[in-house]
Amino acid sequence: MLIQSREPEYDAIVVGSGMTGGWAAKELTELGLRTLVLEAGRPISPERDYVEHKAPWEMPFRGLGDRRHVESHQRTQRNSASFDEGSHQFWTDDVENPYTTPANKPFFWFRARQEGGKSLIWGRQVYRWSDLDFEANLRDGIAVDWPIRYRDLAPWYDRVERFIGVSGRVEGLPHLPDGPFLPPMDFNCVEEHARERIAARFGGERLLTIGRVAVLTKALHGRAACHYCGPCHRGCITRSYFSSVNATLPAARATGRFTLRPFSIVRSLVLDERSGRISGVQVIDARTRAERTYTARLVFLCASALESARILLNSKSPRFPDGLANSSGQVGRNIMDHIKWGGATGEMDGWTDRQTVGNRPNGIYVPRFRNVTAKHPGFIRGYGFQGSAGRRDWQGGARSAGIGLEFKNRLAALGPWSLTFNGFGEMLPNRENRATLHSTQVDAWGVPVLHIDCAWGSNELAIHRDMNVSAAELLEAAGAKDIRPDTTGPSTPGGTNHEMGTARMGRDPKTSVLNEWNQAWDVPNLFLTDGACMTSSANQNPSLTYMALTARACHHAVEEMKRGAL
Amino acid sequence: MERRELLRWLTATAGLAALEGLAPEDLLALGRDVHVRAASAGGSVLGQTASRTVILAAERILPASDTPGATDAGVVGFIDRMLADWFDANEREGFLNGLPELDRRSRSRAGRDFADCSEADQVAVLTALDEELTALRRAGRGGEANRHWFGMLKYLTVYGYFTSEPAARNTLRTYPHPGRFDGCAPYPAPASTPTRP
Repeated sequence: MLIQSREPEYDAIVVGSGMTGGWAAKELTELGLRTLVLEAGRPISPERDYVEHKAPWEMPFRGLGDRRHVESHQRTQRNSASFDEGSHQFWTDDVENPYTTPANKPFFWFRARQEGGKSLIWGRQVYRWSDLDFEANLRDGIAVDWPIRYRDLAPWYDRVERFIGVSGRVEGLPHLPDGPFLPPMDFNCVEEHARERIAARFGGERLLTIGRVAVLTKALHGRAACHYCGPCHRGCITRSYFSSVNATLPAARATGRFTLRPFSIVRSLVLDERSGRISGVQVIDARTRAERTYTARLVFLCASALESARILLNSKSPRFPDGLANSSGQVGRNIMDHIKWGGATGEMDGWTDRQTVGNRPNGIYVPRFRNVTAKHPGFIRGYGFQGSAGRRDWQGGARSAGIGLEFKNRLAALGPWSLTFNGFGEMLPNRENRATLHSTQVDAWGVPVLHIDCAWGSNELAIHRDMNVSAAELLEAAGAKDIRPDTTGPSTPGGTNHEMGTARMGRDPKTSVLNEWNQAWDVPNLFLTDGACMTSSANQNPSLTYMALTARACHHAVEEMKRGAL
Repeated sequence: MERRELLRWLTATAGLAALEGLAPEDLLALGRDVHVRAASAGGSVLGQTASRTVILAAERILPASDTPGATDAGVVGFIDRMLADWFDANEREGFLNGLPELDRRSRSRAGRDFADCSEADQVAVLTALDEELTALRRAGRGGEANRHWFGMLKYLTVYGYFTSEPAARNTLRTYPHPGRFDGCAPYPAPASTPTRP
């Protein structure tokens, strides 16, 4: 038997290098901890791997994608909003990384295995929560109460926003708190008009603002301001949008205390039964399949909501036969996403002598207005709208009638302006929306896969129906004509790529997995700060909150460590 | 076709290793095929005749004027790539079996193959086909129109054209990127915007 040194190899291990893993790496190394980051996928080098400036004619299929490869290897991943011919390499191979669902309950699990994880391909929209959100479960008697309030997280939102750089407008809304914003991106002329008309009609109850976005409008910490090329999700050589690769991982590296080990698939966490602490992280080398265990005093699980739950469920021991840190039985439960594909589009007459120049990687935002002051009779919680105004281009007429010069000129000319609102609605936690380990199926590395059983509830569907109605009201106020509601129907759960909730925070170890510091109730040296920790979903895009929770948890963990409590 | 490209094509299609197993007559046939391809601008699916037909049809759909046309934009190369590597066998066969319809219609109209017709006759043949697509769409059979060989040809022409560098630079004038955002810029853009072919 191999005798292992009793001294752990690292002060901390972070599982995952994405949105939250990057933040954990930065904070822990800056606080003095020798930190190992385990990343399941390959390393990313911006100079080699970013392709945002590749023009359509430089791609074999002009942006339509390598259909044969996608249909055989990325049938699920291709449904992600930012999946395209330039970015498909930033999603996993579905054949190597399967999961199952009940036949009548499809679920999209979008996954990224490379340095930076999904922070490379995220939507970059960042909105703070408020106590309207943190108090919601308590107020409604749903699930369990959040163990924190806005005042606990506000300084960490500040810290994260100052580092990542958020452009946006100060609007003074109590339920969508402002931050230390960089200058906002510009509206286009039709959006500006709509903002004024909506303000006049709804008297402040509904507001149209520019998206708050983690894209720089001024240089910050060695990263350049955005040059409006457009496809952020293919990379960004100027580091203008925030990703782990563009910002947090370089900061961690600069401390000299950072080690990133790519191709390291975490199979499970190893519990020392005597101490009740994690003694090691068991890793499979993705290329050689060799296995080894890394040791550290502290483990941060940041593998993404469902993957972190999977790791816990796969970490069985006599003390935790149903998965590590799962004495509450809540690991894998309460899967949430945001419901989308409700909204409307309308035509805007005028401005035919105006166009947009450059590609703004951002849109407009209408913050939640349902159940903020007045109570809606049909549902609890609410939704926000993202959207934009733009002129129709050749793609809108690509299948229209015509042959010859007149046809060419008609396609080449810009068509009328239209204005669109797309809703993103809150999903309630429901213990029956659940991921469990599949009894037989394993992935390409022999690790048991997840079976995901998740569906919208009646409140989400009521929210979805209301999106169409209120989007039409906004368009009508803006002066739109030919208003067409979104008839697509509710999105597939998981499809918004905001999955969360599978190891929730709470006030009671019997009903939650994590305490107010994202620390596992059952295992004191285990912290979990990705989307799994979320007790409710609000309707805001969640990454900013994950990052703030991560920074806060790191500082708490290191304080505890320094005073000998960990 | 350049020798380098020819070698790449041979490797990709036949596979150089596989050549060793071929009988002399197969090698000769392969050699003839290679020379035919080398002589044409065509790629790996459209033969010389079909390439010529596609080039002419695409140019009539999106003709050159003060801005580039389908030929300038190299649309046939894109169509060939899509047929070779994107569409499935059924779709590819549907297209290749449908294309000779252009010659059949041209012969019954003008007594000549499509390529040898006058421009007016070519446009008339294409317009009739386009009207048939429009009729399908009006009858709620849009999916059928999209799968129709002429629906494919026309869509691929439009898509290939507007995603080409000549069209982006000169027709749409969206390239090179301006490096800034203006949400209320004049339209059309002032004529001084630099372009190059």
